Amino acid sequence: MNKLRENEHLTGYVFTAPFVLGFLVFTLYPILSSLYYSFTDYNLYEAPGWLGLDNYQRMFTEDDKIAKSMQVTFTYVFASVPLRLVFALFVAMILNTATRATGIYRSAFYLPSLIGGSVAVAIMWQQIFGDQGLLNSALSLFGIHSTTSWIGSPSTALWTLIALSIWQFGSSMIIFLAGLKNIPRDYYEAASVDGANSVYRFFKITLPMLSPIILFNLTLQTISAFMTFTPAYIISRGEGGPLDQTLLYSLYLYRKAFSHFEMGYASAMAWIMLLIVGVLTLLIFKSSTRWVHYETKGD
Amino acid sequence: MKKALTAILSLSMVFSLIGCSGSTAENPANGDTPGQTPAAASGDKKDPVKLRVAWWGGQSRHDYTLKVIEMYQDKNPHVTIEPEYAPFDDYWKKLAPQAAANGLPDIIQMDISYLNQYASRNQIADLKPFVDSGSLNLDDVSENAVKGGEVNGKLVAMTLGTNALQTTFDVETMKQNGIDIPGKEWTWEDMDKLGAQAKEKGFLMGGFAYRHDVFFPYYLRTMGQKMYSEDGKSIGYADDQAFIDYFNRYQTWYDNGYILSLDKEAQKKGVAEEDDIYLGNAISGNGWSNQFLAVANLVTDRSLELNPMPGPGQKEGLFLKPSMYFSVTESSKNKEEAAKFIDFFINDVEANQLIKGERGVPVSSKVKEALKPELTENEAKIFDYVTWAEENSSPGDPPNPIGAVEIEKLLRDYSERILYKKVSIEQAAPDFRKEANAILARSQK
Repeated sequence: MNKLRENEHLTGYVFTAPFVLGFLVFTLYPILSSLYYSFTDYNLYEAPGWLGLDNYQRMFTEDDKIAKSMQVTFTYVFASVPLRLVFALFVAMILNTATRATGIYRSAFYLPSLIGGSVAVAIMWQQIFGDQGLLNSALSLFGIHSTTSWIGSPSTALWTLIALSIWQFGSSMIIFLAGLKNIPRDYYEAASVDGANSVYRFFKITLPMLSPIILFNLTLQTISAFMTFTPAYIISRGEGGPLDQTLLYSLYLYRKAFSHFEMGYASAMAWIMLLIVGVLTLLIFKSSTRWVHYETKGD
Repeated sequence: MKKALTAILSLSMVFSLIGCSGSTAENPANGDTPGQTPAAASGDKKDPVKLRVAWWGGQSRHDYTLKVIEMYQDKNPHVTIEPEYAPFDDYWKKLAPQAAANGLPDIIQMDISYLNQYASRNQIADLKPFVDSGSLNLDDVSENAVKGGEVNGKLVAMTLGTNALQTTFDVETMKQNGIDIPGKEWTWEDMDKLGAQAKEKGFLMGGFAYRHDVFFPYYLRTMGQKMYSEDGKSIGYADDQAFIDYFNRYQTWYDNGYILSLDKEAQKKGVAEEDDIYLGNAISGNGWSNQFLAVANLVTDRSLELNPMPGPGQKEGLFLKPSMYFSVTESSKNKEEAAKFIDFFINDVEANQLIKGERGVPVSSKVKEALKPELTENEAKIFDYVTWAEENSSPGDPPNPIGAVEIEKLLRDYSERILYKKVSIEQAAPDFRKEANAILARSQK
């Protein structure tokens, strides 16, 4: 009996080994070494030399671009995540009521988030918002003749990236849709009988019932928005221009690491980012006790 | 059954573990060897040799370089060459991790901005021993061209061709529109006038397309100043007036609409097909002499001409720049063979009939003579211009110090902020100098 137990344990270890090994080698080891590098002047060519807290100090005292890139990143996250969630919920609710060909609609709306992170879409975006792009052509149909490049002018560049992010609402939408399907019909029927209109039903039934899913989507989307890199890199060709308006933190980190080869400094930047995302996630969870409604708690 | 499965799985795990530790044990050994083997390898000529050669460039450069490699392999059957090529930006991003992993190709194409970085970190080898041994023949190469690849007295890079700054004029369009065509001896005031005349007729003139890292140092040189100090530890000028004058003039051009607006400039990818002369938007452009070819070849219905940059101080400002280099890496196990390939690349007439000055005007005088009768009209214009520039220029500056790449980016940032009026030129001038000095100080610790 005991022997069989042991064998089962071994089987378990063997089956988890690929993941555990992968995690140790490709995740934990790089994370820990980047923590070490963040205290050094590692430049890829030479052995790292110990700097102590110099990198962190430089980030907050000498480097103006850190503040700038944080400002850009926060604008991007705080604008794109709520808008994307609202949009995803809106479309999910429409699809929830549709009766025919829902499969096709769902796939069609999900498609952008499958391809949205790709290089091809970023290049397409470049064309749409260019000075001779689709948007300006469309505007000219309404008699508005614009020759500005939306991607090239400082006041609009970041918003083209935010628009791209909102357009990739598909994965949140699918999760919302699943959540909507789980809300028992009788709640709505009972409410209708009591004379609640659709707006009232939305705020009193749909939103509370959906709140755990909103929390899930909000957390996931916030974390992934902080890590956005590809579209900003492609659209500004790695520069973060114009006037650093699209210089996302991740883009600046990449530039420090792979253009200036300041791996130590870039590692320090990565740890600060981890800290910020960690604190924000914690705040979201802390606040969730006030607005997330779990039915099983039975109130 | 279950037992058998457990056995198989645990065995496979054991093997994979062994596999892992085996390879890690091997790696350090590999890292140690490059220092020891070359002597053994160079002994017998018939030994098969494998060389990796890396360069950046566009499609046409890839095409002919592959043909040159094929030609070399036909002549030297014991050598196999593995090419690695990419666009400029990706090239350097690929090279850095290779350097970190001690796995650089044997021969890498080198740029003046990166030369010091790779040389001072002992990534590229001194070629002098191979010049002495006769593997790399520099008899027909001018001393200036050789000097361009020296860092701290070591020949760490071989210049492949020379370039000079130039202004391209679309002379026919200018004539048709009554725009005065400046002569070789022209000034910045003439350029102001050129912009005004072009604007009147609905044309642009060529701005510097963000490349202030090229044109601001030229301007400094015309004033007898340098971008970087001789030792590369600081910015070479102390008086900010040159910066202020340069950007005041540039801002006037920009505000008057003489040059392309920044939002449109930002969309350009740097290929000849989007050049504003070719598109018919501009009557002039500025760049390096080898860049003239791609644009001039596209514009088939009218001819373009090369002219120097404006003065005064043109002769002091103008210089011959090594357009690019080949370097042999320190980690290469076949340095001698690598040097022989570079020798072939710069000295072989047949090879250069394929290259045809696309990497800059050839450095070997013999090759240059031999190519002359075969050049197309546009190629001949470049050769003539660079020949003229040889007589009418001053020695070039030493290779850019480490940190120059970051400073070039800084200058670009400042130019944007100036043109968007986010900072005054008077404020930007000392700020730029201070920040650039800080970058240099940090980079050269």
